[in-house]
Amino acid sequence: MKGALPRGFRDILPTEARELQAIERTLMSAFAQYGYVPLEPPTVEFAESAVTVDERRTLRFLDRDGRLLALRPDVTTAVARVVAQRYRQADATLRLAYFAPIFREEASMRGSEREYDQAGVELIGDPTLRADAEVIALLADALARCGLLAADIDIGHVGFVDGFIAELPADARDAAGAAARSGDLVGTVSLARAAGMRAVRIAALERGLRHRSTDLAALRADAPAASQRALDTLDTLRPLLEAAGVGGAIRFDLGFIPALPYYTGVVFQVTVPDLGFPIATGGRYDGLLARFGADRAATGFGIAVPHLHQALVTAGWQAPAGSPLLVLAPDDGDDAATLSVAAALRAAGIAVAIGDVAESAGQDVRRARVIDEAHLEYEGVVRALDAVIAVLTAGEPR
Amino acid sequence: MRPLRIALAQGTLLADTRVALAAAGFATDALADGGRRLVVPGADVEYVLARPSDVPTHVAHGAADVGIVGKDVLLESDAEVLELVDLKYGRCRFVVAAPTDFIDRSLDEYRHLGSLEVATKYPRVAERHFQGRGIQVEIIKLSGSVELAPQVGLADWIVDLVSTGRTLKENGLAIIEEIAVCTARLIANRVSYARDRERIAALASKLEAWAAR
Repeated sequence: MKGALPRGFRDILPTEARELQAIERTLMSAFAQYGYVPLEPPTVEFAESAVTVDERRTLRFLDRDGRLLALRPDVTTAVARVVAQRYRQADATLRLAYFAPIFREEASMRGSEREYDQAGVELIGDPTLRADAEVIALLADALARCGLLAADIDIGHVGFVDGFIAELPADARDAAGAAARSGDLVGTVSLARAAGMRAVRIAALERGLRHRSTDLAALRADAPAASQRALDTLDTLRPLLEAAGVGGAIRFDLGFIPALPYYTGVVFQVTVPDLGFPIATGGRYDGLLARFGADRAATGFGIAVPHLHQALVTAGWQAPAGSPLLVLAPDDGDDAATLSVAAALRAAGIAVAIGDVAESAGQDVRRARVIDEAHLEYEGVVRALDAVIAVLTAGEPR
Repeated sequence: MRPLRIALAQGTLLADTRVALAAAGFATDALADGGRRLVVPGADVEYVLARPSDVPTHVAHGAADVGIVGKDVLLESDAEVLELVDLKYGRCRFVVAAPTDFIDRSLDEYRHLGSLEVATKYPRVAERHFQGRGIQVEIIKLSGSVELAPQVGLADWIVDLVSTGRTLKENGLAIIEEIAVCTARLIANRVSYARDRERIAALASKLEAWAAR
């Protein structure tokens, strides 16, 4: 198995790595513009801390102390821990951003990666709808800056379906909630029916699960009071999103219920045509931080960077070429001249490689030959070093 | 707008699936028996014919927008798909069965050894069921003719899918417990269901009305 890799792990070669770096820069600068500061969590956590992901989906191992550790399955867990430990007293709002690889266990032969980059933000300590609108607007803005067009934002509220489930007898609630989160809408409805839910309520629940529109009025009839309140929340959210400039892309979708059980309010996902997986998901999870000992409101999102990258590449996107790379053919026999010319060019801000490059990774490669300390052959003409610098830096932002 | 892509389980479900789709107003002539094409193009819908156990995979990855497949396949798969409509046909049951003559003996053995051997083609379903019951079992995965296992001493019990139960009876097996009743389901990719809601919800409503006839 020489040279083999464990399944689900791969080498990211230079062209793709440059593209991912461009995405990382764009996303992190967008997050920074909304006041989010970077957090760099460790790669490894205690396995028992990873409460946000099903334990069968975490990659686990024992260390020499006999403690069960997990490679971080997401960053939300780390954020919750950091907030509970380091910002325990802070009542103020925290805005944290990250771009980091995460690790998920996957069944073999499923074509799934076990390590991939996730980018996202967490907004801690703000229970208002303005905070929900802020993170949704930030997500839309960040994806648009990356060049992602034609993205739809589906917005739901876990309180809508929960309102129906809360009316069931206690022993039926867990199973119905689990069915809803696993996407088994048939099971949700049939469990509710079996537990004695009235036919008009069932019809209202089914309408909610099927409905996707910019309008919510049709869902109010026969819905429980708690579900009505979830609809009120979305009705209040809509003008906020419009004011923030993302009114056009949103659809209300009460059938969108994330798989993880910790969401408590507004939830959302971003989808693009012809990609079977969402680009990003997020929502309000006011209950999670309490599990780490800090009862704070929280909302945020995670972007699956490989899916974003795939969507961008499918749409014909390329990483910005950046400044050109000058490949210097050495002056035969005079390495000192070559090195001094290279140093002068680099001091002027030009990227220089000496000799040859086998992997240009999509950069704009120009070639020149060193004549002596002060002269280069560039584009077939022997020129003074200063003239070459002037040509190569022309049009560059200073 | 590109056609809606529907993954269909080949095999026993396909005949009823054709009837259901025809009732919902889709052309199904090209799905007639003997057709060899695995992708059947059309204006509104495009069919993909796949092995039943592959249908959830096609749909989970978005290779197909929706699919029609048995609940038995969904229970054994852990693909992340949305289950939209119970189509009511293709009814069968997951059951635990044991040799008619030896039910008492295998229970004695269980009390003695604390574990039973269970042969099945559906290890996930079997494992989940016995875990839920708090019964310790060793699962033996077979690819076919599971009824054989108790007769030749390979396993004490079996977990299998039955429609009439005749095969069990002919092999001297009796049903001890029913795990789940399974029927055909309309499933959807999560993103397709979001983005293509109008078409998929319309399909779901038509099929639901047909199933409730």
